[in-house]
Amino acid sequence: MELNKHRSELSTMLMGVLLVVVAIVTLGVTSLVQYVHTRNILMEEAERRAQDNIDHVEAEFTLVVDLVESALRNNVWSASVLVSYPDSLWAFTRGIVVDNPFIYGSSMAMVPGYHRKEQFKVFAPYAHREEDSVVSVQLGTEEYDYASQEWFAEGVKAGEKGHWSEPYFDEGGGNKLMTTYSVPVHDHRGRVAAVLTADVALDWVSDRLGRLEDYPFALKMLVSETGQIMASSPQYESLRRKNIMEVADEMENAEEFKEVNRGMLAGEEGSAPVHLQGKLYYVYYDKVQKTGWSMSITIPVEEIYGDLRKLNLQVGALQTLGVLMLILILVVTIRNLRKMADINAKKNRMDSELHVANTLQMAMLPKDFPPFPERNDIDIFARVVPAREVGGDLYDFFIRDERLYFCIGDVSGKGVPASLIMSVTRSLFRTVAGHEKSPVRIVSSMNQNLVEMNVNDMFVTFFCGVLDMQTGHLRYCNAGHNAPVLLDKDQSAPLSVIPNLPLGILPSMNFEEQEIDMTSGAGLFLYTDGLTEAENQALELFGEERMMKVLQPDQTATVMVERMTEAVQSFVGEAPQSDDLTMLHFRYLNDTPMEKTERHLILHNDIQQIPQLAEFVETVGSLAHLGSAMAMSLNLALEEAVTNVIMYAYPPGADGLVDIEAIIRKDELQFIISDSGTPFDPTAAPDADVTLDLEDRPIGGLGIFLVRNIMDKVHYQRTDGKNILTMSKNLL
Amino acid sequence: MEVKIIEKDNVLTAQLNGRLDTAVSPEVSSALQPLIDNADKTLVLDCKDLSYISSSGLRIFLTVRKAAAAKGGKVVVKDINTEIRQVFMMTGFLNLFEIQES
Repeated sequence: MELNKHRSELSTMLMGVLLVVVAIVTLGVTSLVQYVHTRNILMEEAERRAQDNIDHVEAEFTLVVDLVESALRNNVWSASVLVSYPDSLWAFTRGIVVDNPFIYGSSMAMVPGYHRKEQFKVFAPYAHREEDSVVSVQLGTEEYDYASQEWFAEGVKAGEKGHWSEPYFDEGGGNKLMTTYSVPVHDHRGRVAAVLTADVALDWVSDRLGRLEDYPFALKMLVSETGQIMASSPQYESLRRKNIMEVADEMENAEEFKEVNRGMLAGEEGSAPVHLQGKLYYVYYDKVQKTGWSMSITIPVEEIYGDLRKLNLQVGALQTLGVLMLILILVVTIRNLRKMADINAKKNRMDSELHVANTLQMAMLPKDFPPFPERNDIDIFARVVPAREVGGDLYDFFIRDERLYFCIGDVSGKGVPASLIMSVTRSLFRTVAGHEKSPVRIVSSMNQNLVEMNVNDMFVTFFCGVLDMQTGHLRYCNAGHNAPVLLDKDQSAPLSVIPNLPLGILPSMNFEEQEIDMTSGAGLFLYTDGLTEAENQALELFGEERMMKVLQPDQTATVMVERMTEAVQSFVGEAPQSDDLTMLHFRYLNDTPMEKTERHLILHNDIQQIPQLAEFVETVGSLAHLGSAMAMSLNLALEEAVTNVIMYAYPPGADGLVDIEAIIRKDELQFIISDSGTPFDPTAAPDADVTLDLEDRPIGGLGIFLVRNIMDKVHYQRTDGKNILTMSKNLL
Repeated sequence: MEVKIIEKDNVLTAQLNGRLDTAVSPEVSSALQPLIDNADKTLVLDCKDLSYISSSGLRIFLTVRKAAAAKGGKVVVKDINTEIRQVFMMTGFLNLFEIQES
């Protein structure tokens, strides 16, 4: 008897230890999976941001370079005439500076001895800005032999393309970092008679680099062909004018850094990890077209992973707490067991352990209500009533950029695996919805991730919506979940949903998105099947009919969820609750919505989807009360723009999406077409010449021409790794 | 989109029926191959039932027109609706084609 008791205590202890070990291992594995996944996302994000920032600054910089080059080239012809009238060069150089705000100074330096007259033998009038005025001086003095300066000597030899000088510090004129562009000027006999120059200040590039919204401690710089640092983000001001190779030489163990520098000086683009003074950095670099200069962004890895570390600490703390609680409960249970020595106790213990795991999971869901006390345009409440056995229900919501992102989901199956998948799903939602605003993209990306995790035939029914708080426009995507109920003053009915398939089943599932406009006071009630399939002792189901009877549009979200809970509990009575029951209810309360209507269409990059555009334009056209002629030309413009994306944005064979957003205002109709393909600016293409004869007329090139002619405004931008083409048409 | 080709008195008439958008342009292009092959004759593009055309459709028209110019034939575009006429005007096609109303 005594022996038996000892044995049972021993096995209980063993079980306990085993459980703790299993719990620690499972928690460790999930957090490792999550860690690696988030790390990769952050790394990709860093690379994308760096590339975008480089592209942005490069585009601005190239624009200035182009402007300066064309400003001088436009003046070379006048200059070639004026070489014979040196007196006129004062006014000429002054004119160049006055006319071109981005040119800091300009000079026309005669080849020494070109003129025989003593006063013009060494003659270089130079006009430059000084505070608000333009001042002229003569550079050719005894102390300053301009003929031996780089800008002159290289300018004479440069030919038509001209020459960009190494950056230098202009001691006289406001201590600015400058570069000079020089072109030779030929006289009517074809001899080089002078060099025409334009000085460009580079300090704005540094300012611009400092204003880039990314990693505050990243080093951003513009480097010349020989490695001189011409501009850098302000906190690295001390580096300016130094040479990157010299900077590297001053450091110990800087081989990787030197390797990157050599690549950059060779005009290559790329990225590489670099260890410097015991820290790890990522360097991204790219060539600035035309000038032979390069730009680079160096980000400390700890900054890239900054948030991750914080998150890890939090998750770690939570997990440790969980394990401690588990141990505590085990100890208490073992003590109880000793007293009771009862088989039933074993079952109780199992239950309470599972409940600890469940409590931990539930702690992750938002549960402080009201969640947005500062807002009066949203009333939201949610609750999970967990079953005796752990399940896998989840909900989540947050507001980003004046949009409410919300979701509800139910993982198939029960027990610890289901609750693990639930927490993975929830963190996927947070990660993806943090940067996507289209529900179908959120759902597709989550599906892809869950399929890749390949979790033994488990799947998740899921519903995700994005509500524009300013307009009441709701976009949503369903993945095999119960249709939520739309509560309106006039009538309450299940929302029309396309079922699609649950998450985690088909990798290539093409989810479809839907949209409606919510009026002020309208509400949406989301639930899991734990509600409608709640069973009483007579094995009857609660059902949708009973649920619809409880729902009332004019009640607050909290009252509605409370009443539903009471109703289902009194129906079920003493019968055990078999499944988690989750409800999320919100009401949209905005009496002064913005006067605009939105419609969306998402296409795959398949030309066979083009006919869907016609239907889309028809819908938009009737909402905006357009005539058939106008609708047809808009259809044409849209087809041309979208065809462009379908044909050229993604590599052949790769699957990609095209987002089309229509915004209808009283006075204007706007289409925003976006894709995440390779950067491409269709507006940069030259216009087709429609006056050409038949023989000279090229077969193609009409697409963008039609877009430009039909629409009133066409604008391209590249943001967050997306091509965004905005086209608008005035309706008044 | 339907294409029907009728040959009568050395004249090839292609009746175009429906919407000529990017999705259908490859099949329309191959359906009109007989016109390219007979580009030394008179070719008629009958647009009475053509409701819409995009730039890919315009390309096909231009290809036919170029083939006819090369082989000494003639192209007539018949009965285009107002909306398509506008597109023709915008793109300078009115000057490249002989347009007929029946």
